[in-house]
Amino acid sequence: MSRNQANAASRRARWINLASFAGLLLFWVLITAPLFGSQPLVAPLFLPSPASVYDTFLMLMKNGYQGKTLWQHIGISLFRFGVAFGVTILVAVPLGLWMGMNRTVKAVLDPPIEITRPMPKLALLPLLIIWFGIGELSKIVIIVLALFPILSISAMQAVGGVGRRKVQAAMALGASRAMIFRRVIFPASLPGIFTSIRVSIGIGVTMLVGAELIATNAGIAYMAMSASDFLLTNVVIVGVLIMAVLGYTLDLLARALETRIVHWGGKEG
Amino acid sequence: MEQDLAGRQQAKQAAQAAPAAQAAGVKARFEEVSKRFGSGSDAVQALQPISLDIAENAFVCLVGPSGCGKTTLLNILAGFETATTGRVLMDGRPVEGPDARRGVVFQQGALFTWMNVLDNVAFGPIATGKSPSQARAIASQFLDVVGLASFARRYPYELSGGMQQRVGIARALANDPEILLMDEPFAALDAQTRELLQEEIKRIWQNTRKTVLWITHSIEEALFLATDVVVMSARPGRIKATFRPQFAHSEDPAVVASADFMRMKAEIFGLLRGEALAAQRQEEAQ
Repeated sequence: MSRNQANAASRRARWINLASFAGLLLFWVLITAPLFGSQPLVAPLFLPSPASVYDTFLMLMKNGYQGKTLWQHIGISLFRFGVAFGVTILVAVPLGLWMGMNRTVKAVLDPPIEITRPMPKLALLPLLIIWFGIGELSKIVIIVLALFPILSISAMQAVGGVGRRKVQAAMALGASRAMIFRRVIFPASLPGIFTSIRVSIGIGVTMLVGAELIATNAGIAYMAMSASDFLLTNVVIVGVLIMAVLGYTLDLLARALETRIVHWGGKEG
Repeated sequence: MEQDLAGRQQAKQAAQAAPAAQAAGVKARFEEVSKRFGSGSDAVQALQPISLDIAENAFVCLVGPSGCGKTTLLNILAGFETATTGRVLMDGRPVEGPDARRGVVFQQGALFTWMNVLDNVAFGPIATGKSPSQARAIASQFLDVVGLASFARRYPYELSGGMQQRVGIARALANDPEILLMDEPFAALDAQTRELLQEEIKRIWQNTRKTVLWITHSIEEALFLATDVVVMSARPGRIKATFRPQFAHSEDPAVVASADFMRMKAEIFGLLRGEALAAQRQEEAQ
């Protein structure tokens, strides 16, 4: 396929994406609008119309929800996610790299990581609340627990995947062990680490929602959950959409960082 | 630049004339080196005990069928692998692991993809203690030698296969190693690129007289470049014959069409054909 054809094909796919999205929106409008008689097909209690959800969004922006502004709810959610994510990257990635470099370290750390890996982390939340209380710590810890095995194991595997010839070339150029790690193994592992960072964003957001559904009085998922108690479907949907946008934006951000930092990823030379 | 290199090389030779207790002018020596991979009934004898001297300033080509242990031999001299029996000496001292005195060029996939071309070539000088600015200056010189000065800021994945190999050669040369070990450096290139690079390597060798151990599948390449052609047998590898062609000293690319060249090529071809068939049978038997 020529480059022109490829461009045309990707333009076409883009149009179809857009049309598909517009179709979904139209479907939402149709089933929530009073088209036949005075009643819409789906009652607003179950699914309000896009226009009324938008109105609710503006209202929340102006008045906030339960004594906190919408930004405060978003902020507290982002804070929990950001601290947990940052701590995990700072601890799990170096540890995983170390495991990849050193068999003894791997032998020591493998069992705890492998035992906790398949455990559904949300099941630990009741225990974590007893240990760390219902404050921020238990929520942050549960996200860390979920992301830790993913990031440490993938960093370890990334080290194992570094081309043997690159390491041999560095040795034959007289590089010390420290230099081989710093300038060969670490950068060569970065593409693999970035892939797992992107995977863990989705999982981290999921854990955040799970944690906020249980014991808290702030956060976007909390807002949606408590609104559900009062059958405020509009607020619930605003909350869901905000979380979707957050997840999507974080992924875009990670992808932008990835193409900037590991521009060589997947290319051989 | 190249004269400069040649000068340095002569100075080194003079300096090394003193400890001539070892065989005069032997840069590297394999003494009864054998290699066995694995153990028990799964063990594979890759190399029969091999003895081989690589003279100072020689360009030694190893040719042999696939799987005959050529690369293993090179890896042992590089220090990447250890011999099962026997030992490898360089300047009379046993090789203990890789070091900067032996530069290695691989077939492909050994460049540091995350560094630009200049930083790739500057890696060795930095590793051996030069300051970053000195290292970059050296790297620019050697990029010039391989004709890639204008590509210093590019990344390896932006270059063609032939250019990538030239970066690999410049990177090895930049450390001013005492011997260059080249493991089929041109095997993955197309025929035209390969021929041009062979001429380039020949020019660099004629100017620097750097000792080279070169592995290749191509009899023509070996005859065109080498002062010594070592023909190896099918696995377990041993030395079947050695040739001393004179074409390495010729500056005429058309030397490959001469009668002498053709005759020697036919002779080596005859030797290798039987070994290649044996290697094929080994592969089929597995």
